[in-house]
Amino acid sequence: MGRLATIAGAVVVLAAAGCSDIEHSRTLGNPDVPARTLAQQVCSNCHGIDGNSTSPNFPRLAGQPEEYLRIQLTGFRSHGRSDPAGFEYMWGLSHHLTDGQIEGLASYFAAQAPTRNPDPPAGTPEQIRIGSDIFSHGVPGRNIPPCSGCHGDHGQGKGLFPRLAGQHADYLVKQLTVFQQTHQRPAGVAMSAVTHELTRENMKNVAAFLQAQ
Amino acid sequence: MRPRQLLDAAARIHSLLMAGAALLAACYSANGMAVPAFARQTGENCVACHAGGLFPELTPYGRMFKLTGYTLGERNIPLSVMGVVSDTKVSNTADPNGDPRADFPAKNGSLVFTTASVFLAGKATNNIGGFVQMTYNNYDHLDPNRNWRGKTVSDNADIRYADRFIDNRHDLVFGLSLNNNPSVQDVWNSAPAWGFDLVPGSNPIGLPTAPLLSGGLAQQVAGVGAYAYWNKTVYAELSAYRTADKFWSFMSQGFKFSDGSRNRLSGSAPYGRVALTRDWGPHSVMLGAMGLEAKLHIDPNDPGSPTNRYSDWGVDGQYQYILDPHAASAQVSYLHERIKYDASLAGQPGAYDASAGTALQPLTSSSDTLELFRAKASYVYRAAYGGTLSYFKLRGSYNSASQAGIPGDPTGLLAGFSPLLPSVSNNITGKPDTTGWTTEVFWLPVQYVRTGVQYTMFSRYLGAARNYDGWGRDAKDNDTLFFYVWGAY
Repeated sequence: MGRLATIAGAVVVLAAAGCSDIEHSRTLGNPDVPARTLAQQVCSNCHGIDGNSTSPNFPRLAGQPEEYLRIQLTGFRSHGRSDPAGFEYMWGLSHHLTDGQIEGLASYFAAQAPTRNPDPPAGTPEQIRIGSDIFSHGVPGRNIPPCSGCHGDHGQGKGLFPRLAGQHADYLVKQLTVFQQTHQRPAGVAMSAVTHELTRENMKNVAAFLQAQ
Repeated sequence: MRPRQLLDAAARIHSLLMAGAALLAACYSANGMAVPAFARQTGENCVACHAGGLFPELTPYGRMFKLTGYTLGERNIPLSVMGVVSDTKVSNTADPNGDPRADFPAKNGSLVFTTASVFLAGKATNNIGGFVQMTYNNYDHLDPNRNWRGKTVSDNADIRYADRFIDNRHDLVFGLSLNNNPSVQDVWNSAPAWGFDLVPGSNPIGLPTAPLLSGGLAQQVAGVGAYAYWNKTVYAELSAYRTADKFWSFMSQGFKFSDGSRNRLSGSAPYGRVALTRDWGPHSVMLGAMGLEAKLHIDPNDPGSPTNRYSDWGVDGQYQYILDPHAASAQVSYLHERIKYDASLAGQPGAYDASAGTALQPLTSSSDTLELFRAKASYVYRAAYGGTLSYFKLRGSYNSASQAGIPGDPTGLLAGFSPLLPSVSNNITGKPDTTGWTTEVFWLPVQYVRTGVQYTMFSRYLGAARNYDGWGRDAKDNDTLFFYVWGAY
C-alpha cells in the first residue's frame, strides 16, 4: 500500500500544481482561459491544431475569414445556428465563451495556413470540371449565380463569406442541403435563394471541385 | 430453439416492446431535465464521444476526452444514473439434477429490473477528472433458501490526472490513472473492459472462463498507471495493480475474500499496453498489444497461501468509419494466457468422469493455456438504428481439474459441490472450449436510451457440441435470447 499511497500523494501534488496551469486548461466557461489555449486544448480535437481537420465530420477552419468565424461562434452560442453540426457539438462548447474568447478563436484560425485537403477526390474529373463551371459561372438557366461572386475567384472567402477551397466535400454538401431545405442557419439566409434550384448532383459536383482546390 | 419456443419468444417480445414503448415515453418526457454527467459537462450530444451514439464505444474525440482526464468542459454536478430492464430466455433450462428450483439465469423468461448504477463522473480540476460507478445487481445471488437477492457493489472506477502539451509540431498527452480493472482505462473498444458483451446482463451464460486480463480482476484490485499518447500516433502505458483491500477497499465494495468473489494478488501485478493509431478522413484505426503478469493466492482468505502464476498477453485492433449518418466499427481481440499452478495443486487425482461411469481421469496438470479470440462489427444509422455481429472462440488445454459438477461422485472429491448445481456448469471434457455468435439489433429512440434484442448461439460449450455435461446437455441448449431497455441520465 505504501507505494500506491506515495503515487496517490504525488497525484494530489500534481493536481494542486495543475489547478493553476491555465495555459493547459480545457475548461470552458472560464473567461481567463486564453483563446489560444482553447484552440489548442479543445478545438484541435476535431478541427486540428492548425484548423486543417482530417475528418470530414468537422469543417476546416484554417484561413477562414475572421468575420465569418466570429459570426458562426456567436451563432452557436446564441443557438441561432441550429443545424446538427451546430447543436450536437458546438452549442455546448460555445455556451459560455466570452466575446473576447470568440474574437481570439476567430483570429487564431483565420491566421492558420490552409493546406491541401488530403481526402480522396470526391468526384470524377468530369464531375470536378462540371463543379468548376458551376463555381465560376453558376447555372444561368436556373438562376443560380456563380459561387465565386461572393466566395472569391479561388474560393478563398472574404468577410462574411467563408473560404470554400479545400473544404471537405461531404461537409459542403450537407451545409448546402441545410441552406436549401431548412432555416437552421439564419446568418446565411442569402444562401437559401442561391441553393433553391441546385440539384443534388450540382451540389456534389461543386463540392468535389472545391475540396480539390 | 424449437419452433414453439420461437413463437412463444416472439409473443413475449411483442408484449415487452409494448412495455418498453411505455417506458421510453416516460424516459423521453424526462429527457429535458437530466442528462448524463459528461454530456452536461461538455454540453455536447452523446454522438460527440460515442460512435453513432452507441455507448460506450468511443469516437476519436471521445478518446481524447478520456485521455485528457475527463477535464474538457465546465465543472458540473458529476452525477449520473443508469438502469437496465431485460428479459432473458435460455433455450433449455431443464435441470437433470432434478432440482425444480434451479433458476438460471435469474428469472428466465421474465421481464425483470436487472441492474442500476450511480456514477460519480466528471471534471474536478483543470487536470483531474474521474469516472466511478457503483452498481446494484437485482439478481446477484441465491440465498440459502434459493431466493434471489440483490447487492450493491463497486463497478468500474477510473480517476485521472492528465496534461496535454500541444503546439503545431508536437502533441503529447500525459496522464496517471487510478483504477480498479486492468484495461478499464483503455480508450479503444477492443480492450477487454469495454469491448464485448457490453449491455449489462447480456449473454448471462457466456464464456465459462476467460483469461485473467478479461475481467478476472475487475473491481478486486487497485492500480496506478502512467500513460502517454504522442502525436495521436503512439500510445504507451504501464500500470501496477495490487489487491484492493484496506485503504483501497473503496474500489472493491461488495467483493469478499470469504465468499470467493474476490481474488487476492500476491504483491503487485504489472500491466502494460501499447497502441499505434492513425486517423484519416472518416477512418480511424488502432493496432495494439497488452500484457499482464499476476500471481493469485490459492486461498484468497490466506495471504500466506501458495500462488498460481498467470501470464497474459494479447493483441487487438479497431477500425472505425464515422461520417454522419453512418457509424461503422470493427474490433478484434486475441488474448493468450498461461497459468502455472503451484506444486500443491498439480498432480492431484483427477475428478470423477461421468461419461466413463466410474473411471478416474489423469492427474491434474501443472499448467494450463487459454486462448480467447473475439471479433465484433457494428453499424449505426442516424445514431438511431443499428446492429452488431460478434464472434467468440475460447480454447484451452485439457485439465482433469476442470472436470466437475456431478453429484454422487464415488471418489468423494466433489463432496463440496452443491448437488443443486445446474448442469449448465458441468464439464466432462476437462476443456473450456466454447464457440459462438451473438447478433443484435437495437434502436436508440433518444440519445440516452437504447433498446435491443440479442441472440447468442453456441456451437461448442465446455469442450463439446453435444452432451458436454454428461447428462445430455448440448451447447445449443445454452442459446440465449435477450431483450433489453437500457437508459442513462
